[in-house]
Amino acid sequence: MGSFRYILRDTLRLITRHWGLSILTLLTTVTVLFLLGLSSLFALNLRHMVNRVEGELVVQAYLKNGSDASGLAGRIRSVSYVRDVRVISPEEALDRLRAKLGNQAKAVTLLGENPLPWGLEIQVEKASFVSMLVRDLVALPSVEEVVYSGQLADKLSRISVLATRVSGAIMLLGAIISSLVIFNTIRIALYSKSEEIQVMLLVGATRTYIAFPFVLQGLFLGTIGAVLAVVALASGYAYVVSVLKATLPFVVMLQNQTFLLKFHLILLGTGMTLGWMCSWFAVTRFITRAARPS
Amino acid sequence: MEVRIAGITKIFAPDIVALEDVFLTVEKGEFVYLIGTTGSGKTTLLRLITREIVPTRGQISVGNQNLRKIRASELPYYRRSIGVVFQDFKLLPDLTVFENVAFVLEAMGVPPRIVQTRVNEVIDLVGLWRRRFLKPMQLSGGERQRVAIARAMANSPSIFLADEPTGNLDLHTSEEIVRLLLSINAAGTTVIVATHDQYLVDAYRQRVVELHDGRLKRDEKRGRYVIDGEL
Ligand SMILES: Nc1ncnc2c1ncn2[C@@H]1O[C@H](COP(=O)(O)OP(=O)(O)O)[C@@H](O)[C@H]1O
Ligand SMILES: [Mg+2]
Repeated sequence: MGSFRYILRDTLRLITRHWGLSILTLLTTVTVLFLLGLSSLFALNLRHMVNRVEGELVVQAYLKNGSDASGLAGRIRSVSYVRDVRVISPEEALDRLRAKLGNQAKAVTLLGENPLPWGLEIQVEKASFVSMLVRDLVALPSVEEVVYSGQLADKLSRISVLATRVSGAIMLLGAIISSLVIFNTIRIALYSKSEEIQVMLLVGATRTYIAFPFVLQGLFLGTIGAVLAVVALASGYAYVVSVLKATLPFVVMLQNQTFLLKFHLILLGTGMTLGWMCSWFAVTRFITRAARPS
Repeated sequence: MEVRIAGITKIFAPDIVALEDVFLTVEKGEFVYLIGTTGSGKTTLLRLITREIVPTRGQISVGNQNLRKIRASELPYYRRSIGVVFQDFKLLPDLTVFENVAFVLEAMGVPPRIVQTRVNEVIDLVGLWRRRFLKPMQLSGGERQRVAIARAMANSPSIFLADEPTGNLDLHTSEEIVRLLLSINAAGTTVIVATHDQYLVDAYRQRVVELHDGRLKRDEKRGRYVIDGEL
């Protein structure tokens, strides 16, 4: 269509005419989207770590002498959040201890009799269930002692929930801020062109034709802002991953490439949608007002 | 297209009566002077015809369009059938003479090559060929007036409305502009010219419609005076 050439030309004019404002808007959009992406990545990584730790999460219960280990195991197995229960005999415990201690293990066998109690190894579905399980186990008369490596997971899980909430709030705030900034830029462009819009309406330009360059301007700002933010975020993330790998190898970061790609595409889509929706909203409102007959 | 104005009253908020009970029919191809002192309602009448404003009472139809029933989506297409020279020109200061005329055609989706040809044609017609790359600020009053005329005639409208097109111009320039309007009319376009320039009305005799305080005071074609009670 012939009109599209004019629309593109006018879009370019709009962007270059207020180039200072365009750059300012871009900078704000980039910053806000970057922070938005950063906080989401942080929350996602925390959850990733929690999931990993949870996978290895085991609660060990040592039983009093003479208690029925397999009976208790059966009862615990029927609890909904328990993934698996294994009974550890004193012999197996001793083998493990020997494997762990090496030569020093001889000291244990010197006693002649195996001093280790029967035990249970319980795997749970989620770290957040650990404290409940421990409380219940301690209350059982046949349980002597409960040991679990779960304090870390427990804390992580709490932090992860908090991080998800905080990043949700940041995302919402970021979306609102970038919406307002883009909306405002388009509004300034509209006001600076209000005379022209009025004349165009009077000489028979359709609303769509008038609105198009402004909507494209918003889409442009949102898209470029998002692209820059994604580039900064992706390279920054890759850098952090490589540094952590070298210095803190036990911190395992999210490195699923398809997932990360999807994440960045979503961020890009968010920027584009925000840009397009805000400008569309501003333009529609403005033109409807300008076109209203008195 | 003919213009039928039937019993129009226009009251601006809160209670400014700009037009009161005006009846006026302009036939297709006619040339009409709309005269009256400042504030008599000429601009208001023209703005009603372009449906920039809507009447408080009464009906307006243009061709077979009833303006009360026109839909928002039809309005742009209706306005393309009307060329308007605004009292304040409404030229866009950032655009050159050429661009000021061209953007009307562009807004209608006319292909660039045809825009080029047609704009050059009308700019030449109003005698601004050498000024085509200047901006409105660099032009004299009469030249701006002619840019406005060129823009209004660019898409060959069936109705041509000119609001005080000779306002503040010297006699010679005014005569040139009226001749331009007459030539547009000669091509079959209905022309309505609002003016308070009695000299021109007398020099180039055409149908005269006079407004006074928003009422129709005189319509020469009808051969009688419609006089307000107080006058
Ligand atoms: N938008 C408006 N709001 C209020 N009053 C208006 C408006 N437009 C015109 N008027 C009033 O209506 C009357 C007619 O104005 P106008 O049609 O501009 O007269 P003319 O063009 O003959 O000089 C004047 O009294 C003017 O003040
Ligand atoms: Mg006037």
